[in-house]
Amino acid sequence: MASETTLGSGRRNWLPAWLAGDTVQGIRRQRMVLGVLFLLPTLIGLIVFVLAPIVVAVALGFMKWNVFRPPEFYGLKNFTRLFQHELVGNSFSNTFVMMAMTVGMLEVFAISLALSVHRFARSRLAYIFRTVWFLPVLLSGVSVAVTLSYLFHTDFGVVNYYLGVLGIDKVPWLVSSDIVRFSVSLATVWRNLGFTFIIYLGGVSALPQEILEAATVDGARGLKRLWLITLPLLSPTILFATVIDVIRLLQFFDEPYVMTRGGPGDSSRTTVMMVYDTAFANLEFGYASSISVILFLIILAVTGFQFLLSKRWVFYQ
Amino acid sequence: MTVINRLSTRRRGDEDVVERIPDWMPRSAADWLAMVFMLIIGILTIMPIVWVVTTSLRTPAESFTVPPEWIPRDLYFGNYLQVFDEIPFVYQMGNSFFVTLSTVVGQLTTATLAGYTFARRYLPGRDGLFWVVLATLMIPYQATLIPLFIIISRVFGLADTLWSLILTALPTAFGTFLLRQYFLQIPGEYEEAAMMDGANQFQIFRRVYLPMVAPGMAILAVLAFNGKWNDFLTPLIFMNTTSRFPITLGINDLQRYMMTGSISVVLAAIVMATLPVVLVYVFGQRYLIEGLMVGGLKG
Amino acid sequence: MGNLSRREMLQASAAGVAGAAAAALPGSVTLASAPSQDQINMRYQVFNVDNVQHMLSTYMELNPHVNIEAISVTGVDHQEVATKILATLAAGNPVDVGFACTEVTHLYAGEGLAQPLTPRLMDDADEFMEYYADTSAALSETMLYEGDVYQLMDNFNAANMFFNKNLLAEAGLEMPGKEWTKDDFYGMAQAMTGIDGSFGYGWINRFWGSWMPWIFVNDTNVLEEERAPGGEWFWDTFYAGDERAVGRGGGWRWPAPQANNPKMVEALEFVVSLTQEGLTPAVEIGGGTTLLGFFSGNKLGMTPAGGFWAGGLINSGLEPGSFDTQFWPEWKSQRHQLGVCGPWILDGGGQEDQCWDFLKHYKKREIQDALGHFTPLPLTTPTRRSLNTEERFGQTGVENWRVFYDTIDERPDTGPIAQPVFVVELTNIFTRYTGLATNGEQTPQEALDNMQAEMEDLYARNA
Repeated sequence: MASETTLGSGRRNWLPAWLAGDTVQGIRRQRMVLGVLFLLPTLIGLIVFVLAPIVVAVALGFMKWNVFRPPEFYGLKNFTRLFQHELVGNSFSNTFVMMAMTVGMLEVFAISLALSVHRFARSRLAYIFRTVWFLPVLLSGVSVAVTLSYLFHTDFGVVNYYLGVLGIDKVPWLVSSDIVRFSVSLATVWRNLGFTFIIYLGGVSALPQEILEAATVDGARGLKRLWLITLPLLSPTILFATVIDVIRLLQFFDEPYVMTRGGPGDSSRTTVMMVYDTAFANLEFGYASSISVILFLIILAVTGFQFLLSKRWVFYQ
Repeated sequence: MTVINRLSTRRRGDEDVVERIPDWMPRSAADWLAMVFMLIIGILTIMPIVWVVTTSLRTPAESFTVPPEWIPRDLYFGNYLQVFDEIPFVYQMGNSFFVTLSTVVGQLTTATLAGYTFARRYLPGRDGLFWVVLATLMIPYQATLIPLFIIISRVFGLADTLWSLILTALPTAFGTFLLRQYFLQIPGEYEEAAMMDGANQFQIFRRVYLPMVAPGMAILAVLAFNGKWNDFLTPLIFMNTTSRFPITLGINDLQRYMMTGSISVVLAAIVMATLPVVLVYVFGQRYLIEGLMVGGLKG
Repeated sequence: MGNLSRREMLQASAAGVAGAAAAALPGSVTLASAPSQDQINMRYQVFNVDNVQHMLSTYMELNPHVNIEAISVTGVDHQEVATKILATLAAGNPVDVGFACTEVTHLYAGEGLAQPLTPRLMDDADEFMEYYADTSAALSETMLYEGDVYQLMDNFNAANMFFNKNLLAEAGLEMPGKEWTKDDFYGMAQAMTGIDGSFGYGWINRFWGSWMPWIFVNDTNVLEEERAPGGEWFWDTFYAGDERAVGRGGGWRWPAPQANNPKMVEALEFVVSLTQEGLTPAVEIGGGTTLLGFFSGNKLGMTPAGGFWAGGLINSGLEPGSFDTQFWPEWKSQRHQLGVCGPWILDGGGQEDQCWDFLKHYKKREIQDALGHFTPLPLTTPTRRSLNTEERFGQTGVENWRVFYDTIDERPDTGPIAQPVFVVELTNIFTRYTGLATNGEQTPQEALDNMQAEMEDLYARNA
């Protein structure tokens, strides 16, 4: 490393004596000061632009507010209402079902793609593949809405046309309550695979080759090697990706909103769609906030649980 | 980047013959399996995009057909020209670039610094703080959007400015989490070695750790760029003036009153607006892969 | 009470905004124009600033002391616009002049956001005689709420039947006349089904359009209808001697839901049977893009749409002359459903007088003539009768373009889609159970019983 000599040059003149790196206390102080300084931009930003709005939103959860009139205190009424509101419970179960399907498919496909493309890592073909898989992530709102409605239309849709060529009957993708959650999950996987893939790509590329090669020499091959060596080495990335994907997909909104608006009936209505409609359509901002608070607590619990479990399976070098 | 061909040894007669095999050539059953899988996913992901591109080159009347037509019969570029007639496309692209690039640079800075502390520096209450940061990801944006807009317009008076879009995006819990994981993966011996050489704490960060999380930064850059570029809801609420709109709002305008605009024109604008993002990704990927390779060798 | 606090809120926000303007970056529009003492800055919400460019520039030319700041809302669906308007309201900085359609007329009026225009209209009645004489009574009535006028108008859409003439020709059919019936429709739908994978009739699940036209021609509505008292001043002043204005009151009221009355069930059974018989493709949710695509791609013979499709179909690449329109077929009646859009004034914003002056400019014939959603292509129907011209609609190739305005002149019982203050939630309930009936998971009777129960609950909560 070219910087070797600079590193050896010891403490800089501009450092005050109490921060000098030649005593243990000095180093500790350096660490402390730098640690605080480094955190400041993120913390200040988060407090002003994220936490403050969250505090307001949480406070609104205890109020009745339709925007037109000043908010009025409402106590726990929003919360007692939501626990009796069948639609809210239903939206939570839809969200979990779709989240589970989507995250399941996402992680399996993304890990497989990352491991597959790693076999050809430096080739042009790998380059093309990596770009192609990421393309749906790059497409924005309107095009996704139009494309998905055309693809999944029961009578005129592309998917059913090709199934028809294979002799399969028309599938009512978006109009059947039993199928719609799967269709929406499928579309979400299409749209987000590139996002999860690129996270795994980083993890797979950083796998220590020596260990993998040593394992191969020791006779670990195929699925055995994948299960016993590769996946454990990849576990920090798996933890990160699943945590992020679960958090994102418990706040599922875009795809079901543009494809079904929650229908047919309420079969694909997610919790965040409830939040959005309750606030901006029904003008019950307080009630919408109370639903958000419950959703927040649930996501927090799920994420905490993931981290707790991770102590058993995540392996840091 | 040069393409390095793998060498393959094959026994022919009594002597070993070294042949050059193209590096994309599968050589084992597992390779073949991987290749077929990648091709299938590749075709499935690209087909809808092919339809988007071809539809931008014809009229909607020729597009929603059964069976679908993947290749336009004659290329019609009028949709592309019409985009420039209807919205200040170049201007709005400029706005998007300004907002997105500022956001990416800002997020890289804040996330790297914070991620480093969360992973590598002990402060009292650090882990609790990390959970607070993580928790900010868990409340739906739809619920905090109005309070955020009130803060932006009434506390800062920044409504309808590009700064409102940038500032609110600078702190990133996702990026902080991502980079924390990368910092965590670096073995501690590197730091000890640098300390032995007398490096101060900033130098350790700058010269030892930072180069090693470059892949993580590249991933964050790509994802942040893409996320901000396609952001619709925030500018919809924050921005009022057409000339200050990012391109996502401009594209929405192209749908026209009561959705009477041609969807082909909309898609033409989307294709043009997506090209820069694709380029960023292609170049970002080059850097990413290089970075990953270097990191991999060290690890 | 609510009004007073809101006004206080507005004033507080005005102070906040002033401080913000001072701190704003140099080059911001308001600072650059160096407002003098009596410079008036007016915030006007528009869909697209290009659409109203002529109106704005002519007005500011006539009134150099007024600067109109266009607040562009790019929303294409009602939800996006509402989101934006609510956000500006929450931030205490709403627009001075807004633009809205019948969906929210009652909401804005009922919540005191929009100012009643009654006294102003009475003062300036002379100036408005020509405007209302040029506007059909059924349209004007939609802008009344509890006896007062709250909005002016510039465009509307009634749901007429659109025909794909290519499929019509393939099936060997002629365009029907105005007096055609539901049975004629049924025969035509059958004839236009199965031509290279086509369906005779298609629609999407939403509120306007949707199966709402069938509800109206079956002489019923989702909600009970009645007329508020009052409004005599309006009809006596502007529509004296117009027999189409007789019997109108102070605006529509929807006192209770009636989603499962026998006529509603009959209407839903009819549209569901069309799907079951294969004359209508699967009914999906949507914003209209795919419907437009399938219609222009010769996959649908007939579909509900309004004047906005005249320009919309040309934009989507259909040749002029390859589609046409007609009244909705007669069933128990031939009453149509419509939606009307136009500007309103913020109550308590402090600039009402100037806003009213602007609205007087807005209503002028030559100003509306130049609106971007009428020119060059008509992307919706002008509420001014005299702007529905051969020159405007002829270029779209729609031979029967006169049908758009005749709908309200010749079928004056035509009325707005239900628009109580909680209309958006009502819409959600409507589309939800419509979806469950059209996909066959519930019978029309079950679906409408459930719809009725939820609507009753909604009414109870908002009582």
